Amino acid sequence: MAKEKAPKGIKGWAQGRSLWMLHFCTGCGAIEMPPTMTSRYDMERFGITPMATPRQADLLLITGYLTVKTLKRVVRSYEQMPDPKYVIGFGSCTVNGGMYWDSYNTIKRLDLYIPVDLYIAGCMPRPEAIIDSFTELIKGIKEGRFDGWIRYRENIEFYKRNQAMVMDIRKWSLDTELAERIWNEVQEERKKRFERATVPHVYELAERIPEGLPK
Amino acid sequence: MSLEKEQKVVELVKASFEDAEAEVQRERRVKVRVKPNRVFPLVAYLKGHGFNHFVAISAVDWIKDGEIELVYHLWSYSEKVHVMIKTRIPRDNGSMPTLKPLFNQAETYERDIHEFFGVYFEGNEKLDREFILEDWDGPPPMRKDFDTRLFSAEFYDQEDLESEALRLKIQPYKGHLRK
Repeated sequence: MAKEKAPKGIKGWAQGRSLWMLHFCTGCGAIEMPPTMTSRYDMERFGITPMATPRQADLLLITGYLTVKTLKRVVRSYEQMPDPKYVIGFGSCTVNGGMYWDSYNTIKRLDLYIPVDLYIAGCMPRPEAIIDSFTELIKGIKEGRFDGWIRYRENIEFYKRNQAMVMDIRKWSLDTELAERIWNEVQEERKKRFERATVPHVYELAERIPEGLPK
Repeated sequence: MSLEKEQKVVELVKASFEDAEAEVQRERRVKVRVKPNRVFPLVAYLKGHGFNHFVAISAVDWIKDGEIELVYHLWSYSEKVHVMIKTRIPRDNGSMPTLKPLFNQAETYERDIHEFFGVYFEGNEKLDREFILEDWDGPPPMRKDFDTRLFSAEFYDQEDLESEALRLKIQPYKGHLRK
């Protein structure tokens, strides 16, 4: 069987010109969406319009940090979306954790868990940056460069394994058989990591206030 | 600035609770220290004297003393005074009677503190139900001996997986970088 490829040419042009967007508003990035949607920056001139449900959406926009609790919902939403689907990671929290880099409950790199097509760096990116990423996305779809859903399908074990390290994938995957198998496989590794991670911390408060700080 | 109304609240507390250490902290702010078993009667007493807004419960982990401090915040709309009732319970297997019979909203704060600090509130029936943390089987994460940075490094760094992602060529598209 021939390897699946992203549509391009006239099919890609048509696809890129009518993207329905599910904006998964986690964190503070949601506040950049209203100016992007409304008359000031007006993203609808590119044919991009917000959509209420994942089953009708082509584009998933993750606007900010993702706790493990939210990641479960993101994975579920992503898997429900029909092909072809695209993901934009928005803000530095999706790139490397941002200011939540040492939080016990926040993932750092989004593209270890679901395939990301474009990242927008910044904390927060301005609407111009979002519009820039949309035009790049439209251009890339026309040329057939973005193939996140194919990568997800081909490397499903890799993604599921990463997801299983941080969450119970059995409850949140559409393919329950695969989730069950991978969940059982990673239990040992997960247990090992958990033991290493929950060593009681020896808490030492600085006895002396460093010089230069107000007393 | 006269602190008359604050002083009145201190005297009100001292009239019925001799063992309580009450003091005026500043304008509109009164601090009371009591033993854990006196919190319930004190809150009931203050509720009867116009302190009918139960604001919140907060917790502080004093790891060197081996104690957890619970702070109950009350506000009076007529007096316009904020009373903080502070009490300390042991860190290990510490428990407090619930304040639910007095203020219903205490239930939510108690569930929150139970999950994040591991304090048990006697009489709160919903305490064992999952509240904020989902599928969490680790130690209470807001305690000082929980190393959040270590936990994050173990579970979310995943450097070995990043190299695996490079090998599989499933990195995000990078052609967008401007020259």
